[in-house]
Amino acid sequence: MINAMRAELIKMRSMPGVWVTLGLVLPLTVLVILGVFVESASLTGHTFWYVHTVRERRELLGAGYFGLEILAPIMGVLCITGEYRHQTITTTLVLTPLRTRVLGAKVIVTALWSVLLALLSLVAVVVVGLPWNAGLGGVTSQVTDQVGAVVPGLLASAILLGLFGLGFGTLVKNQVAAILLTIGGTLILESLLIALARAVFHYNLNWLPNGAGAALAGDIARGFGGGGRGTGIHLLTWWQGGLVMLAWGLVPLALGYFTTFRRDVT
Amino acid sequence: MTAGAATRGLPIEIVGLTKYFGAVHAVDHLTFTVEPGRVTGFLGPNGSGKTTTLRMLLGLVHPTAGTATIGGRPYADLENPSSTVGAVLEATSFHPARRARTHLRMVARAGGHDERRADEVLDLVGLTADARRAVGGFSMGMRQRLELATAMIGDPDVLVLDEPSNGLDPQGIAWLRDFMRYLAGEGRTVLVSSHLLAEMAQTIDDAVIVSYGQLKAQGTLAEITAGMTGIAMRARTPEADRLVSVLDGAGIAHRRLGPDEVVMDGVGPERVGPLLAQHQIVLYELVPEGGDLESVFLSLTSGLGFGNVAAHA
Repeated sequence: MINAMRAELIKMRSMPGVWVTLGLVLPLTVLVILGVFVESASLTGHTFWYVHTVRERRELLGAGYFGLEILAPIMGVLCITGEYRHQTITTTLVLTPLRTRVLGAKVIVTALWSVLLALLSLVAVVVVGLPWNAGLGGVTSQVTDQVGAVVPGLLASAILLGLFGLGFGTLVKNQVAAILLTIGGTLILESLLIALARAVFHYNLNWLPNGAGAALAGDIARGFGGGGRGTGIHLLTWWQGGLVMLAWGLVPLALGYFTTFRRDVT
Repeated sequence: MTAGAATRGLPIEIVGLTKYFGAVHAVDHLTFTVEPGRVTGFLGPNGSGKTTTLRMLLGLVHPTAGTATIGGRPYADLENPSSTVGAVLEATSFHPARRARTHLRMVARAGGHDERRADEVLDLVGLTADARRAVGGFSMGMRQRLELATAMIGDPDVLVLDEPSNGLDPQGIAWLRDFMRYLAGEGRTVLVSSHLLAEMAQTIDDAVIVSYGQLKAQGTLAEITAGMTGIAMRARTPEADRLVSVLDGAGIAHRRLGPDEVVMDGVGPERVGPLLAQHQIVLYELVPEGGDLESVFLSLTSGLGFGNVAAHA
């Protein structure tokens, strides 16, 4: 397993798409940080204002979540679909004939890169968000006090979103289709389904991936995804969100393993 | 390169191997053995089941029935697969953005080998100068060399090569021939599939010929070609159409090579001469055909196979 994992790490490091994905988390996080300060200023008459409620402080710390809900699944998608796109799956399975071992290595490596994404988003918060907040008059320690409520959930959400992408990629296999479906699902489909469920069935559709991930990440999610507070859904509790996210991470992976990954490589 | 005397290879045993893709019988109860210390050609027309057989041997395709083992064990059960078997399957299975050396470092890691092996095998296949180039910029010949380097990363006892000379220039093919001979000389088992018969005839010790997924012949190259000598005749005649009718009437298998050329399989001059004289067919040329790998291959794979030549040899 260790050998397969090391090989997977080299593969990920040598894929340009992985670095592009990693790089995108910084501007997306900064964009959300800007949004947090704008929203905090909504009743103050200013353009930007420091975060002054617990919820806003958590939103600032978890500003990377919006990027993560798009990019972590893409990281998982890249980890598996690159193998099919460039036919490297043949070499991979010749070197490591036990397919469970290959998939296990990919699970671990996807989790590591998803954590890296989350950590990079936190770097953006520390480098841009906290100094800006202090400059606006906020107290940094009041934000960092919320680390325990946000960061573990953020990291866990990133991992499970990454695994969701890995499982989704195992099922879909076509890299372009998987990435487009991931972005479309995050930015458009989930919000549409939530709105439809609420309008037509008066149903609180809070168990889709981004909504569940937002609950796990400490009720900090915002933006276009299903977990945003603009969507009007009541999020699950953090542990319910965690369990649902675990299912979103593992069920597609198991389905992908039993339906496509075990198939003949011709 | 100097060949060692050690016998370090392992036998490959294919027993009753069968693969159906729906209604298509890609491989049909195939049985043969590949011995260490020899280069064995796995020959057959396109679509004859060669690649499917090799993929079943390497655990990439699940057999419908039968077994494929290396040293008595299925590939998936080998303790360290890349130290036992090196495989070249297709020259396109690289990430184009990955550098040659990075690809080999990854392969070395996956096999549990020292990453320094990457430089050693790059040197072995003559790609040291291109180690830092992205594979996307490689020619087909360079990709084939990189595939060979990939196969050699674990210094394996068995080499399984699927059409390794595709895309190689004449120098590359000559180099590959020497490379395979050298590896077999060290006692390794070398199984190479190809449809380039003239090239294979210069390289292989043994041959396994398949058609429609079935074994047509197995034996040493000498046995196979000797078994076919003199049992085919080629005629050049301005009356080729009438000749074909006569052969049909006499129940003699034949192949049309051109407008005025016909090969008659399974017959010698004693049978053909009187028959043509009896029908007063004008001949420009009547010569024995066979005795070379290409003739044997064409005879066996044209749907008119003569059965297991090894049994006659």
